[in-house]
Parts: sequence; C-alpha cells; structure tokens
Amino acid sequence: MPAPVKIDILPCGEAALRVTVYDGDTERVWATVHRLAARIRHELPSTVSAVPTYDAVLVEFDPYHTTADLITFLIQSWDHDWDDAAPEPGQVIDVPVLFGGAAGPDLDRVAGVVGEPVSRVVEIVCAREHLIRCLGGPAASAMTDGPDFRVPVPRLPEPRLRVPAGAVSVAGRQAVIGPVAAPSGWRQIGRTPLTILRTDTGESGADDVVPYRPGDRVRFRPIDAATYTDLLGLPMEYLTND
Amino acid sequence: MTDQPVLHVDAATGCVVTDLGRATGPAHGLAVNGALDQFAARAASALVGNAPTDSLLEITGFGVTLRPSHDILLAVTGAPALPAVDGYPHPAWTPLSVRAGQTVRVGISDAGLRAYLAVHGGFDAPVLMGSCAPDSMIGFGTPVTAGTPLALRRSHPPLVNPHFGATVFHFGLPVGVTRVPTVLAVIDGPDAEEFGPELDHLFTSRYTVTPRINHVGLRLAGPVPQRSVTGEVLSRGVPVGAIEAPAGDELLVLMRGRGITAGYPVLAVLTSLAQDNAAQLRPGQRIRFRRTTVAAATAAYLEQRRLLDRIALRARTAIAAQSTR
Repeated sequence: MPAPVKIDILPCGEAALRVTVYDGDTERVWATVHRLAARIRHELPSTVSAVPTYDAVLVEFDPYHTTADLITFLIQSWDHDWDDAAPEPGQVIDVPVLFGGAAGPDLDRVAGVVGEPVSRVVEIVCAREHLIRCLGGPAASAMTDGPDFRVPVPRLPEPRLRVPAGAVSVAGRQAVIGPVAAPSGWRQIGRTPLTILRTDTGESGADDVVPYRPGDRVRFRPIDAATYTDLLGLPMEYLTND
Repeated sequence: MTDQPVLHVDAATGCVVTDLGRATGPAHGLAVNGALDQFAARAASALVGNAPTDSLLEITGFGVTLRPSHDILLAVTGAPALPAVDGYPHPAWTPLSVRAGQTVRVGISDAGLRAYLAVHGGFDAPVLMGSCAPDSMIGFGTPVTAGTPLALRRSHPPLVNPHFGATVFHFGLPVGVTRVPTVLAVIDGPDAEEFGPELDHLFTSRYTVTPRINHVGLRLAGPVPQRSVTGEVLSRGVPVGAIEAPAGDELLVLMRGRGITAGYPVLAVLTSLAQDNAAQLRPGQRIRFRRTTVAAATAAYLEQRRLLDRIALRARTAIAAQSTR
C-alpha cells in the first residue's frame, strides 16, 4: 500500500481554491486530481465547480453559499479515503490530420528541434494513442500527452494571434487539439478537418460541447490534402470498431 | 393582447443578452462568462423582481435605444448608466415603468464602461448549458442589433408608488454604487511566493488601463513583477480575476471569458468586488492595487449580497402589492 498522496490547498481569491496533489508518481497525481474533481462534482453543491488539470484542481465556489474552510475540511477528510484502482479506461477518438504546409506551419521547425526527418516526426506523432489529460482553455481544448520526442519542444517566442480551429500543436511534452480559432504560443504541426465543437445542444440540456473527456485517448492518423477536403466539416467522434 | 411582447431595437452597439454566467461551463472546458459587473447585473434583476439568473442586457461603451411593444417594467444599473424615456432623464438603480411605444435611451457616461438593463420577466434567448451568456471564443450568444426585436417573456402594467404617483422607489441602494473605484483589492495568488520581493511592485506602482480590454482580460501597462524562479509552469485552472505576468511590460487580468487553464503563474487575484470595479474601467484610466485578505474580501462580498437580498425582497413586495390592488 503506497503512502497517501500529499494535498496542498491554497486560496485563489475569496471564491476559489487551488488543490495541488504531490506524489513521485505523476500518473497517480493525475488520477487523484481527476477523482477529486469527480467527487467534488458529485458530493458538493452545484454552485461548486471543479477544473482538474495535471496536478491540480481549481475549485470555484460562491462564498454566499459555502466557505473555503468547509470545502478545505471536506477535501482533507477525503484524501486517505479512496482506493488506488485505475481510473476507468476512456474511449478512443480518431483524429485525421493533414501535417505540415499551411496546416502545420511549425512542422519543419519541430523536426529540426527533435532532430528527426519530417516524415519520422509524423510517424512518431501517429505511433501511439495520446491520453487526454484535461480540457483546457480556450474552449475545451483537448490537452494530451505529447509525442515520444527525445526533447521537449519549446513554445513560440511570440504567440500567434490566431491559430485556426482544428489545429494540432505541440509544446513541452504536451500536445493540444484546438476546437476553435484562438491565439496560441504552441507549435502547430497539423490540422484536422473535423468539426470538434458543437454549441447546438440548446434546450436538450447536454453539457458536452466536445466529443471527448479527460481519460479518453486520441489516435492521430495522417491524411493527404484531398482526404482533408473530403472530411472537412464532419463531426469528430469516437472510434466505433476499436 | 396575446402577441408576445418585444423590445424593438432602434440603435445598439456593444450590447448583448447575457446573465450571471455559465456556472457549469468550467467543468466542461468553457469559461463562465456572463455579466462582468456582477453586482450591477444582480441589482438590475433584483429591482424588477426577477430571479438572479434571469437574462438581461449588458451595454458596453456605447448607448442603446429601445422601444417596447407593451408596457414594461425595467431597471438600469451600472456605474455609468444614464437612462432617458422619450428624452426625459430618469434615475438609474431604481425600477422604471415604460409605456408601449415610448423610447428608452440608455447612455453611458465616461465614469464607467458597462450598464445593465433588466426587464421584468427577462428575455427569451437561446441557452447553452443553461445560460444565454455570450462566449466569444466558441461563437455563442445573442448580440443586440438595430432592427432585430428582442422577445420578452412578460409585459408589466405601470408600477406607481402610491405616495408619489410615479415610479419612484428607494430600495436601499447606497449612493456610492455610482462611483467607480480605481483602487482594486487583491488577495495574494497561489504563486505569489515565486515572485519574492518583486511582488511589492504590484502594490507600490500605478498601472494604466490599455485599449486591450474585453470579456477575456484587461491588459494593464506598468511595472511587471518578475519571477525569481524559472522553468515552464504546468497548465492549471486559473480563477476569474487572476493577475498574470506574461513576458513583456503589461499585466494581464483575467476576466470571466478567460480560458479556464493557463501556463502562467498567478501573482494575485482580484476580489469579487474588485472584479466588478475592473469591469467599469476605461482605457487610459490609472489604477493601483491594494492588498487584502480572504476574510476581509469574504465579509465585503457577503455584505453586498445581503444588500442585494434586501433590494430583491423590497422590489418583489412592491411589485406584488401592485398586482393585488
């Protein structure tokens, strides 16, 4: 039985807390963070929200309805509670990607940084499934583990003011798929033609505007320009025959 | 009349249908968004007897000109609001009955930036995750444009104070709410220690509001405290009101439309009340920061919410008394 993880809770203003999880095992940290967030959503009032990332959960609340002390007390009382069972395996998302050129203006530079030919970089990116660690800004971007490059990829010195919807980018040891056009300092290596975001959930009450959740995995698949055009605008969805 | 009441829009710039925000958004990767000056928005809804979550208009920078098809009850709030009906000025921060066909003009003085207009019953607008609040990043929302009428949920007969024979009510809003403070209260952020003594610059310097301000963030020109540690910061959830110090000579204050995660350390966080104040800042204004504590900020916030509760109760009572006469 491993020692319990260490949990540190710090104020983020008077209406939010940052709960940081420390442990030598980053997988355990990540799993703990996401279990904590799920538990906060299930067991605390709906006015309390949880944003889990890699090693921390941002807990936002309305001090009119609850207090930082109460939330802190509850979370501290949980940390020895849960078992270390692996989180439920997520589903696999198929992401066709047009690499390089206008769709991936930083691909050549990334190849230079990691010291591989461009074709090999694409192979590495598509070689394995990428675990979605969290949903990030802007607009529920899928933040995944990065490709198995030998070195981390530095961010752009000057962020781009606009990266298009569907951009697949890397930085550090992470990768991200952006559902909407937005500024970004990450290195854009490709672009998926699929439509990721849907906002027509309307009165149906559906809460997911993207077809993936943390814990799902992404499989990148290289496509050519003609296939890109064929697939343009189709909705992104789970692989059904995998 | 059976036809649905509408608000005709004769002129509008920088105006949207909104509410207090998409509370379940952050858990699903979306920003909370909603009215940037939450106090003013809550007050407007309270003054017309609406629920706090009802929809209302946020008017930014420029005025609007509206004409209701039916008699309605409305309230205009926000530090800079200058309402007028058929050319006659009326007070803000109080309920105001407008007859069918009258012209309501809401001007914005240079004392602030954002005004709120609530109509008894609220607006009919599409919702996403239970909120009509616009999200510019995902292209969701209902902008208010000239020539496109806004559907209203209810009309309301003229509300008349039995003592004055006109719509004059005092529901206990202090006079001070119309003044925009330029000293913003902040609480040390979770990464404050990474800045060491550099953090003091935040409290000893003056900052100028740049023209780059919107729902996502405010950029402030002035001395930027430098981190004493180096290395990339892992992306984490960042709260609304977070003050970040990216490279360069500007501070970034995150507002309600911010991406929910960021890879910059958080120096300090604006209190909820200071976030409302920040929503009223105009480019060129000079501001400074004042350090406060979680306990003091919580007490100030609770006092304000209780004030809003009292206003809501008095307004609902006045409206109910009218409907039973």
